[in-house]
Amino acid sequence: MGGDGRHEDIGAWLADGYVTSFRTACLILGNRADAEEAVQEAFLRAWRFRTSLAPGSDVRPWLYRVVVNTCNSKLRSEIPHRDRRTGDGDLDDLVAAGDGATQVEQSGDIVRALQSLPVHLRVVVVLRYYADLTEREIATAIGRRPGTVKSRLHEARRLLAMHPALRSTDDRSELDDSEVAE
Amino acid sequence: MTMLDEGPLRASLVEAADGFPVSDDAIERIARAASEAGPRADVVRSMVPRSRWGRVALAAAAVAIVAGGVTVIGGAPGSSPAHRSAAGPSVAPGITGVAPSTTLPSGSPTSGGPVGSSSSSAGSGRGVGTSAPAQPSAGPGGSTPSPAPLPNGVVGQPAKVVTTGTIDLALGDSPLEPAVNRLTAIAVGSGGFVARSAVQVGPSNGTTPASGTLVLQVPQAAFSTVLTQVQSIAKVTSMTSTSTDVTGQYVDLQARIDALQASRQQYLTILAKATTIGDILAVQSQLDTIQSEIEQLQGQLDLLNGQTTYGSLTVSLSQSGHRAPPPPPPRSGIDRAWQQSVGGFTSGVEWLIRIAGRTVFVLLFLVGLAFAARWAWRAWRRTLL
Repeated sequence: MGGDGRHEDIGAWLADGYVTSFRTACLILGNRADAEEAVQEAFLRAWRFRTSLAPGSDVRPWLYRVVVNTCNSKLRSEIPHRDRRTGDGDLDDLVAAGDGATQVEQSGDIVRALQSLPVHLRVVVVLRYYADLTEREIATAIGRRPGTVKSRLHEARRLLAMHPALRSTDDRSELDDSEVAE
Repeated sequence: MTMLDEGPLRASLVEAADGFPVSDDAIERIARAASEAGPRADVVRSMVPRSRWGRVALAAAAVAIVAGGVTVIGGAPGSSPAHRSAAGPSVAPGITGVAPSTTLPSGSPTSGGPVGSSSSSAGSGRGVGTSAPAQPSAGPGGSTPSPAPLPNGVVGQPAKVVTTGTIDLALGDSPLEPAVNRLTAIAVGSGGFVARSAVQVGPSNGTTPASGTLVLQVPQAAFSTVLTQVQSIAKVTSMTSTSTDVTGQYVDLQARIDALQASRQQYLTILAKATTIGDILAVQSQLDTIQSEIEQLQGQLDLLNGQTTYGSLTVSLSQSGHRAPPPPPPRSGIDRAWQQSVGGFTSGVEWLIRIAGRTVFVLLFLVGLAFAARWAWRAWRRTLL
């Protein structure tokens, strides 16, 4: 999604960015249905307001910004008022998609750990380590300074390291390693 | 501090994200919806320049406009003191309002309400000059128009105006007694009288300045003449003159009295025809009430008559109490230069302080405006996207 004539092609936008945007939203929202809604809304909104994008600028961080703002909007206004069982749907999805029991368990752990993070930290972690945006691009996407992004990433990794699900995963990995050694 | 490594975190996230299946028809659904909705014509957005420098220029223009506005707005009060200090003494002698006691021809009725007031103040012991209080000032640069007579009233009643005035006279080193005698003579000569006088004379050594206050009651027609004569006695430091039209009040009182008198006449007729004791007593009671009201209103009318017949002028006299200090001995060249240098420095500091106040205000205002604009911009963008 560079700054070229593809700005005017919604098909190109979707082909380039839908899957990553959708999965980014899944990780942020922790819910597949909400993520699907949010990304659809974000793409339509971005498409409507595509004239506000300066010519020659990169669509990717801008599009992620729209996605993140839509997710934030959902987290703020819709999801808290809904009676939903957090995480169950995600895990079902993961079970359905996973190849093995360990993989599913680990995926569920990281999703749970992510959901335990505050939204502003969750967003930067997902954008950095899943969407693979640079710190500068994340800064553009969330409308903050790169320094803020860096400090948020630092804080997020520290909190994730302390999360029980990920710690137990590490311990379990160590245990598996020791069993293999024996 | 323990931190999660980036590599495993990235791998876990990718793995977890890949676990979310993508709907087959999602992309088609969005593309279909997008094709139905065209780009929004964003009028407001199009007004904002796209380039960074364009935005900076726009922001600078906005700041300049705001700063200009603030300066203009702030300039008005700021210039007022300067204007006052520069023009004060020159305009002080003039009476800025209308002195209706001298402009009102007798028999020109007006509607109710105050007719006007005037005041003047001569600062720093400057004289009032020769401005007659009866002549209304036309404002700076304007010619002095002749006083227009008040319009004829709707009630066919001569105007009833209550006029009061105060005037402060600085006698300097002159004694108080001749001034008091002259004021009394002026009041009596105009057909009025001294309603009240209070004089304080200091000890014979002259350490305490003498002062006094006289309240002169002078006929309305002679009020302006008396005012002029009083001004000629000594330097006038301040002067006020207020006139209130009470014609409406007067007419109202008169009408109520007339109505009550008519009513009394009817009751008297009824009383003449009354035959029983009960009727006579009842009518008599009503008559007493009406008579009481008539007397009360008549008293108010008399008071109003008295107030409109004579104008009240309060004259305050004061001695300076000390002689002017002898002029300082001529300074030497270096001394004079040093004094000028100190004076210049002080003036510079004063100027800086004076300017700083307004500048700080403008800066604070602009900072607040910038914060508000930034917040609004972000909120708008958030709403937009």
